[in-house]
This record gives sequence, structure tokens and C-alpha cells, in this order.
Amino acid sequence: MEFEGCSCFRQRLVLSTLSVKRVKIPNIRSKDDNLGLRDFEVSFIRLLDKHECNVQRSIGYYLEALLMLAPFVKTPLRAALKGVTNDPTDPSVDLLKVTAIPLMKKFGIDGDGLEIKVLKRGMAPAGGGEVLFTCPVRRSMKPVQLTEPGKIKRIRGTAFSVRVSPQMANRIVDSARSILNKFIPDIYIYTDHMKGASSGKSPGFGLTLVAETVNGTFLGAEVMSTPQGQGDPVLPEDLGRNCAKLLLEEIYRGGCVDSTNQSLALLYMTLGQQDVSKSLLGPLSPYTPRRLCLAQGDRCPIGEGCNRVSPSS
Amino acid sequence: MEKKEQKRHQHKHSGPKAQKKNRKKEQGTEQVQDERKRNPRAFSVQSAVRMAKTFHRTQDIKTKKHHIPLVDRTPLEPPPVVVVVIGPPKVGKSTLIRCLIKNYTRQKLSDICGPVTIVSGKKRRLTLIECNNDINSMIDLAKVADLVLMLIDASFGFEMETFEFLNICQVHGFPRVMGVLTHLDTFKNNKTLSKTKKRLKHRFWTEVYQGAKLFYLSGMVYGEYQTQEVKNLGRFISVMKFRPLVWRTSHPYVVADRMEDLTDPEAIRLNPKCDRTVSLYGYLRGTFLKNKCQVHIPGVGDFSVADVSFLPDPCPLPEVIKKRALNVKERLLYAPLAGVGGLVYDKDAVYIDMPSGHARRQQVRFQSPTTELVQSLIGTQATLDAKMAAILLNNPDYILVMYARMAPVPEHPEVTAMIDNENKCWLFFWSHFILRSNSRALRWKEDLAQKASEAYLRHQLAAPNLRKLVYGTEEEEDSNDEEELGGLFKVSRPERSKKVRADAMDCSRFHPDSSHDWDQEEVRCTSIRDCFVTGKWEEDKDAATLLKENDELYGDFEDLETGEVHKGGNDDEINGGGDDDDEEEEAPQVKLDDDEVQKNKRLEKKRRLKERFDAQYDDGDATYFDDLKDEMQKQAELNRQEFEDVDDEVRVQYEGFRPGMYVRVEIPALPCEFVTNFDPHYPIVLGGLGPSEGNVGYLQMRLKKHRWHSRILKTRDPLILSLGWRRFQTIPLYYIEDHNGRHRLLKYTPEHMHCGATIWGPITPQGTGFLAVQTVGGIKANFRIAATGVVLDLDKSVTIVKKLKLIGYPYKIFKNTCFIQGMFNTVLEVAKFEGASIRTVSGIKGQIKKALRTPLGAFRATFEDRLLMSDIVFLRSWYPVLVPQLYNPVTSLLMPVGQKDTWAGMRTLGHLKHDLGIRNKPNQDSLYKPVVRQVRHFNTLHIPKELQKALPFKNKPKQMQAKGKTPQDLQRPAVVREPHEKKVAALLDALSSVYAYKNKKAKAEQHAKHKEFLKQKEKQDAERQKRLKEERKKTYRAMGQKEKKKLKSSLKGASKDN
Repeated sequence: MEFEGCSCFRQRLVLSTLSVKRVKIPNIRSKDDNLGLRDFEVSFIRLLDKHECNVQRSIGYYLEALLMLAPFVKTPLRAALKGVTNDPTDPSVDLLKVTAIPLMKKFGIDGDGLEIKVLKRGMAPAGGGEVLFTCPVRRSMKPVQLTEPGKIKRIRGTAFSVRVSPQMANRIVDSARSILNKFIPDIYIYTDHMKGASSGKSPGFGLTLVAETVNGTFLGAEVMSTPQGQGDPVLPEDLGRNCAKLLLEEIYRGGCVDSTNQSLALLYMTLGQQDVSKSLLGPLSPYTPRRLCLAQGDRCPIGEGCNRVSPSS
Repeated sequence: MEKKEQKRHQHKHSGPKAQKKNRKKEQGTEQVQDERKRNPRAFSVQSAVRMAKTFHRTQDIKTKKHHIPLVDRTPLEPPPVVVVVIGPPKVGKSTLIRCLIKNYTRQKLSDICGPVTIVSGKKRRLTLIECNNDINSMIDLAKVADLVLMLIDASFGFEMETFEFLNICQVHGFPRVMGVLTHLDTFKNNKTLSKTKKRLKHRFWTEVYQGAKLFYLSGMVYGEYQTQEVKNLGRFISVMKFRPLVWRTSHPYVVADRMEDLTDPEAIRLNPKCDRTVSLYGYLRGTFLKNKCQVHIPGVGDFSVADVSFLPDPCPLPEVIKKRALNVKERLLYAPLAGVGGLVYDKDAVYIDMPSGHARRQQVRFQSPTTELVQSLIGTQATLDAKMAAILLNNPDYILVMYARMAPVPEHPEVTAMIDNENKCWLFFWSHFILRSNSRALRWKEDLAQKASEAYLRHQLAAPNLRKLVYGTEEEEDSNDEEELGGLFKVSRPERSKKVRADAMDCSRFHPDSSHDWDQEEVRCTSIRDCFVTGKWEEDKDAATLLKENDELYGDFEDLETGEVHKGGNDDEINGGGDDDDEEEEAPQVKLDDDEVQKNKRLEKKRRLKERFDAQYDDGDATYFDDLKDEMQKQAELNRQEFEDVDDEVRVQYEGFRPGMYVRVEIPALPCEFVTNFDPHYPIVLGGLGPSEGNVGYLQMRLKKHRWHSRILKTRDPLILSLGWRRFQTIPLYYIEDHNGRHRLLKYTPEHMHCGATIWGPITPQGTGFLAVQTVGGIKANFRIAATGVVLDLDKSVTIVKKLKLIGYPYKIFKNTCFIQGMFNTVLEVAKFEGASIRTVSGIKGQIKKALRTPLGAFRATFEDRLLMSDIVFLRSWYPVLVPQLYNPVTSLLMPVGQKDTWAGMRTLGHLKHDLGIRNKPNQDSLYKPVVRQVRHFNTLHIPKELQKALPFKNKPKQMQAKGKTPQDLQRPAVVREPHEKKVAALLDALSSVYAYKNKKAKAEQHAKHKEFLKQKEKQDAERQKRLKEERKKTYRAMGQKEKKKLKSSLKGASKDN
């Protein structure tokens, strides 16, 4: 199969790996000054066989692909990824930990082995973080019926700060709570201040919020401080408020799978057994349809069973 | 003599004894419980261990019966059951099939040619296939058979093919096997008959399973089996149940019952050997078939399918099941390869098969009002496609185009004209019929179109954006339905946005445009307030409603208890519809009447009540297994419901073609031999392949030589494997795993043991069984199945190694260091092996140290002991062996008719040598030569002096000769003393004896004295010891007392402190 350009680069490689089909991607950034693959993409290709993540993108970029592949590999995966744990472009490790892991559990990938652990936190641009991801192997995915998101019963979150005043985290928490308290009283936001060797190389702070519903759906949102020397600094109060609003926006969008993990859920549904899986998604994020395009459009590279996606808003 | 009348026994009719008896009579069945009460000791626990054991055993037996519950995927309308009739030649296979067909359909089929599908009952159809004696057919049919009728000639007994077939079945998942004994009328003696029956039955049982059904067909009546016996056999077949086999439930397959060559006749004319496009027809079995998938046709090869479409069932089950038996119209028979079922519908055409005898009937049919159109078609010179297009334009209705395939009919003028024109023995005859709603097939099509359009519209409304997003722009609205359906899955990316998108940032983070201002109170209230538990719930889940409902439920509960009959009736209803999902019921569907709403509410309430009741009472007993089973059942229900209302055309796009459909599979680029050498007696199976099963790679398998195969197998000899759907020749390498995990190459397979084998072959999932034969050509007397086994791994990284011994010779020996040459050729080679351990034949271990400059390849090595020049030094190493990449599919179906069982691939080394007359040069050492024995000389035995001394006399070498006569000259003269000398000697003697006596006396005295002294000393010592002991005792006592005092005083002191 042949594709053009570097969009959906990860998706293409992951799907080609899963379906044992060759892909050819010519004309990558053909109009750009800097032709060809960037360092992070090269790093990604290396990751598919061997684990150092380039600091141009955060670990989330690599971890997302690993989440897609890990349940299907031959032996249980244990990957220690080093690089940037949180940055504003990619979903952070914390967000994946609180949203993707419960989603995977719904698909029958559970047990002790499934874990994302932040050993060291490294902010953009210099990184220096370390994440341990372990995942067991499953023979087959369980079909899921995610059609009822349920009511939100609690909101949890983590406000973290590294190499800045520990007070930052508390300020974030206060501002976030000021908005969220109007909706639900059951809110707990942990403050996570890392010191010394586990604090990475750059300063920064951020907030990850997750809303859990009575049916076990997790909707997440996060905001990171701007990396050092790359734009205007943010006030922790603003950050907290923004993040809370983002979470509300995410709740407004609804669905049983939050917008970050839509493509992951769809992939698992496609790779399941021949059973009908249903899931209710919010409005599709721009990334998801591209996934659908890849998975179904081009002559179904994977035996996608008789799964079906029922969209709704 | 008078006989005394004895009083008869009077039964008691009343009283306690009679009552007791009556009670016993009444409670005859409850004897067991009584027994337990009456004789409790017999039922008491004798041994706790034994009880535990019996309990354990019963539980074991119970759990053994459990299978992992799987989702039930059997289609609602299953495909016909494949019944394969197999047996040696002249055993009565065709006769049996003919009799079965006659039994089921009341029709006679003279020539059994290809699969015959019949309707055997209200819910079952059968496809009968006759298997010839070729091992290729046997292998192919064993893979698709649901039921095997194994015919055995009772007058002869079992033949090798029967056993071979059973072994093939074992490998590929055992289908049901039913034995049928024929030729029983050859036995004249009843006793021999029954004995033979018994013998054959028991042998059959050992092969299949104990108690396997063996049928007896006792004799022939007018060339047919007895009607009653065939009827019984038919009944057995119709009620038989089949188990799902793993390979078949995971792969789609089609047993083709019809073949049409679609190649352009012009292309054939230009090149008779051009690749053919062929469409194959048959019922889809196994699992869902995707449209553009790969299939393997055993005996031909791998092909990718150009197109799959489903056709109306040519041999459908009765539409409505009535209580009565099937009538003649419903007992259908479909066997296109045998020339039955003349009218066959294709995707866009109808074929009429017209043997010359039926031509007249056909002629009548052509006298329809459309004949002129037909004639116009024949008459004009334009291409047929253009004509068809014109007709299609003129008639917006659906048009069925009819191809008529017919033999040359001289009395039909038009046809003869065509024959003259085209100069062909048979031809396509175009005509068309505008069939309106009176045709059943057409009605179906119309419905389909309507449904499709409805479904499409519904989809459009439901998700206008999604499809646009996923599949790019939509198709134009005005194109017709069919095209739209086809276009549903076509990717058409919008051209203008393509460039922009191509290099977009690959990031799943998504920044929503926050149009909502969450600071405003009304935004909050209106939009997401109800998403939280604190918000407003749906009406049916509101706490207040639930509370109220609970009250109602419990109220109801009491009502139900009183009116029990009423409840039972409703419960069934609830069971039937209870599995529906919540949201489906909640979703606002069509406006229902008030009554209906009420009824639904009631049902819902009852369902909840039932759930609650179940949760309270049943779940205690439910095991994990039961839960799992329930879950699977729910999933199966869900799967079924999801596509229940969807039209077939759309459904096929989503889930693929489902088993039970009659499909037409179009395959391009088949070798022309497939068509030219087509023999309907050979089965054509289309085996669907999984996503990566079309690839070829390395496979590790466990293999065991079959114990009935007479010879062991040699590594690198080509072997024909039957694995998955495929039959192919490959070159296996056999290996065995050493205790350290090394895969050591074996030259031959072990005689009675498993070994590993690695091949280059098609990727097949782990756990798939295979069998191996050395040749598929010809008929041989001995057992042909060489080996069986299972695929273990699909790993390229597993390496097989073989032992390689490098030999060298010492050319200079120091103390423990040697210079060794002849092992390597260059310094570089030595450098690679520096530090490797080496050994001599005598067992002295050593190590390679460093290369020497001259001679080339020589090196210095050290050993644990001094070597001799005659020692040979060797280095044991392991050399990785490459697996030869031979994958040669057996193309037996492409062989000419009548020679299909003569396929011969690569020959084995033994075969080659035999054919070419090459004989191995024997090892000179292995040849027999005349034995020449040399006389051996031994050295004399030399015993060292010291040893001689130590030896007892009898073992000492006797060097002294026996004393013979001393010769005269050696004899010494006797000494004669003088008288004076005599005196001196006597005196000296006397003096010395006196001295000796004195000495002796003095010594004895001294000894006695010393003895006395020792005694004395001992006495003194003893006394001294005694004294000392006494003294010590005294001191210790004193010390002890002192200690005690001290302790006491300290205790006292402590107590005082307290």
C-alpha cells in the first residue's frame, strides 16, 4: 500500500505492523524546507524495534502507539521510556494513565501487568523523565458495549510541579476547584511535586483532570505550562481554570470514550473477535476519522469483523 | 391316607403390621432414604480420606465435561451438511449415493458427478460427495466433510485406504464417521457372517471410538440396497449432530458445485493457454467470507478473489415449516456438475443447461412475446454489450439477461445459423426477458433495491458527517442504488484538501474550540448540569421514581404470589424478550399506543423484579462457568440482533458473506489447465485464508513418524505436507532439542519419538495439525502417511545447528603447551576461535591460545597434560544450517483427466539414485576382507626387585633350579680338626653357653623388678587421683555455696528495691 506525506505516520506504521502488510510512504514533507523524517519519527521507527524517545515530542506520542501494539505482541511488554513526560502538544503520560488504562481494562486487557508508572517527570524542552509501561498479552479482545456513559460521580486529578515552587500545585488546585465545585462536590486533586533526581531537566507545572462516571467511563483533560523559553509564561491560576473548562468541554462532548482515546478504542474494536462491539463516541476528534480512513477505507487491511461504530453527539 | 388340609396364611389387612407394609408399598421409590435411616452405619463416613477422594473424583469428572464457552456463531440457516462417501473401488459408493438420493428426493441420478445437494428434511440439507481412491481427494475431502460414510467391503475387510483416510481425518479435526458394511450377501454361512461383523465392528471401534455406529447393508435388490436399510441410514444422517472444528469455524470455505469459465473467447482463440477467469459456485461454510480475500484451491494454488456475490439459494429449505412431511416440490435436488438443476441463476444472468433431448421444450419457451427482441439481438452486428446497454436504457425496470447454453440443435434454425456463423460447438445465446413482478427472483431483487435505498437514506440521516469524514466526499445522489452501495466503501479523498492533509502534524491531542463560556451560570445549567450525579436523572432512573417503583414492585410481588398461574405465563415472555439492552428500550422509538406503553412498562417492571429475584436467590449457585456462559449467550444474541433487520446487500458489506449463503466466487488468472483438464469427479474446495496466511515463511513443527509407515524419514528429503487447506511439497529439516535448548539437526527422524521439523511453507496458525506423505502419485500397497504433527511456532529466529568437528595435529610438544596445525587455514580463523576449548581423543582438555605466524593456521594451545605426537586434537563446534526454501504446491487438479493421481514433485535422494542407477561408493573400512591373524610375541615378565622381596614365597619367581647332583669338581672336602683344636673349640663353646645363660637370668630378673615397680606406681597414682578429686569436690562445693549466697542476697536486694 502506498500513502503520501507524514500525517498519520504512527497509525500507518502501527496498522501495517498489525496487519503484516507493507506500506510505502513517499513524499514526506516534500514542500518543507526540512525534507524527510524528523528526529522524532526516526526515533519512533527505532522504538518499533528497540527505547529512547526523542525530546521533540513527549513520551505520550510514543506511548500511544505502544498502547495500540502492546496487547498483540508475542511476550508481555515492559518498556522503560525516557524523554519528555509532559508537553503541550501531545497527550501526557498522566492523561493516558488515567484514561487509556481503564479503557484497556474494559477490553479485557487487565491483570497486574497493565501499568503506566511515572518514575521521573521531565518537562519540555529538555526532558529527563522516565516512564515504565508494562502490558500483558491477550489472545483476543473482549467485545464491549460502551453505550451508556452514565453520570459523573467524581472528579480526580493531579497537579504537578517540578523545579518550581511547590506552592504552584496548590494554586492550580484551588483555581480548578473554584470552577468544578459548582458541579459536584466529590473532587480530589492530588498535588505531586517531584524533587531531586526525579524532577527532570526543565521546570514546569500542569494539571490533569479526570471525571469518572458511575458506569466506569473516564473523561480526561489536561493543560501544561508553556515550556521554558517558548512563549509567554502561564499563571497557575489561569492554568487551573483552563483545565477545568477543558474538562467541562470534554464532558459536554460526552461519549463513553474521551476524545484522546477514540482511535485506540476503535482499533481495539476492530481487532476484536467476530462479535459486535458498540461504543458511543462524542463528536470525533480530527485524529479519529483519519484512523477510520486507514482502517476501513483502504480495502480493510485488517479483518475488521462485523464491528460497528455508532456515532452520536 | 388322608392329606391334612393346611391352613393358608392370612394376610393382615389392618393393624400396625399391615400399616407398615402398606407404607412400604406406597413409598417403594423412597427406599433409598429409608435405608439410610434404617442402617445409618452403612452410610456413615468410614474414612475421611476416601470420602475426599470420591468427592474429588466426582468433581473432576464434572469439570472435565466443561468446555470453554464460545460465542455461538452458527448461522440461522446453516449450509448443507457435507456427507462424504468413501471406500475402496467396487464397494458400492455410487450405489449408496444413488439410493440415498432416491430415498430423500424420489429422483434417480444415473451419474454421480460432483457434489449433489438435496433437501433432506425441514431444517436440513445434505451435500453428498463421492470420494475416489486418490489420496489427494481423500485429503481435500477430509478437510471439508461433516459426516463421512465409510464403506467397507465385508467380504474383503479393511483396506489400506480406509486406515489412511481415518488417519487423515484425525489430523484435520475428526468429522463424524459412520461405517457402512456392504457385500454382506456374499456370506453363505450365518455364523461366519456374524463373526465377521463382530470382528470388523471391533476393529472399526478401535479406530474411531468405542461404540461408533457401523451400519450393515445386507444385500442388493435389483442393483440397489434394500429400501428399509437405506431409509434407516437416511434417518441416522438426518438426526446426526456435528461438532464445530477449530480450523473450519475460523476459516471460510466453499465446496464448489459449479464452475463457469468467464474468459473472453477471443482471448482463448488467440492464445489457448491464456490464464482463465473462472467463477466457482457453492455454499459458503465455516465463517464469514470477505470480498477481496485470498483463497487457496487445494490442487491448484493460492488466488486472490476478484469478486464475491451471493445468489438466491438454488436448493432452498422450505420457507414455512409445516407439521407434515416435505412434499415432492420441496424435496429439491441440485447437482449442476451432474447436469441436474438445469436452470441456474447467476449474478446477472440465467443459465439454461439444455441437453439435446430437452431442446423441444426449450423451443416452446422461446415463443414468448419477446422472441422478436431475441431475434433482433441475434441478427444485428453490433457488439452484445452495446446491445445490452441499449436495452437497459430502454427499460428502466430490472432486466434479467438470460444466457442459454445449449448443444447444437439442428432443428432450431436460429441456433444453427449462429453455429454456422461462429463455427463453435456451443455458444452463448443472448436473449432477454423483461420480467416483472410475477417472477420470484425479480421480486426479491426489487425488495432488495428498495431496502437498500431505505437503509442508505437512514444512514444518511443518522450520520451525515461521519461518512464524509471517513470516506471523503459522498457519491452523487442521482447515481443509482447499486453504485451507491458499491461506493459505500470506496475511498475517495477530496483532492483539494489532500495536499494540506498529507503532511499534517501527527498528534492525537485535540484542542476543542471552547465556544462555551463556562463562567456563565445559564451555560452551565443548560448544557452539562445533568451529566453529573448531582444533576437531574432520567425519568426512569430518578431516585423518587425508583422508590415509588420499588413499592409497586413489592406490591406486585404479593399479587403474583396469589395468582401463580398468571405469573408463569408471563415469565416465559419475559425470558424471551428480557435480554434486550436497556438503552434500546429507553430509546424513543416509534410512537406506541397507550396500551402498548403500559404493557412495556409492566414488562420492564417484571424484568426488574426477576433480575432482583435472580440476584437474590440464583446467583449464589452460579459458578464462574455459568456466568461466562451467560455472557457468551448475551453476546451471541447481540451479534444476531445487530444485523437482523439489515438488508443482505448492506450486511454483506459490513460483516462479509455469512455461512449458508450460496456464493459465486470469481477468480481471475487461473491456469488454463484447470478448465481444460476439469474433472467433476475431483472435489474443488475454496479455502479462505486469514490475513497473513497467504505468506510463506519458516514454520517450526513437532513431527512424529507414523508408526505404520515402514521407513524413517531423512532430513532434506522432500515431503508432501497437508497443512491447513494446502497440500505442498517442502524440504523439512528434522531436529531435536538438547537439554540446553540447542536445536540439533538430525539426519533421520527418530523411530518412535517426536522430533522437531522446520520447513519453509505457508504461514499457518500455531496448533494446526498436519500430515505428511512422501508421494501422492500412484497406488501403493503400503501405508502412505509418513508422519503427522502440529505447528508449534512461526519463528524465523530459531536456528538449527549441526555438529562440526575441526581436527588438528600437534607438530611440536613442550611440557603442557603444543603447537597444532591443520585445524585452520589462516591467522584470522584462529583469531576467531581464540579461547575455544579443544580436546584430544584421549580426553585431555585444552584451550586455543594464539595463532602462530608460520605455518598458516597453526596455533599455540595449552593442555592439562602433556600430549603425544600421536594424539589428534579436535574442536567441537556448532554450525547453523539453513532451511531450504522449497514450497511447491501440489497441483494435482491441473493434471490431465485420468492422470490426476500421477502428480510427482521433487524426488527424494533415494528415488533419484534408484532411478539414475547411482550407487554409493562404500567406505573402504566397511568392506569385508579375509581375516589375517598375526602371531603375537610377548616380552618376558619383569618383576622389580623390591616387589620381589615383598612377595610371598609362593608368588616369588623361582629362579633357583632344583638341586641336582653337584659336579665332582665343585664338591668341597670335609674339614678334619687336630686334637688341640678340638679342645679349644669345646672350651669356647662351654664359655659362650655359660655367658648366654647368665645373660638370660639377669634379663628375667630385671623384667620382674620392673613389673613390680609399675604396679607400685599405679597404686600410688590411683591414690593421688582420689585425693585430688576429694579436694576438688570440696572447693566446688564451697564455691557453689558462695554463689548461692550471692544470688540470694542480690534477690533480696532487688525485692527490697521494689
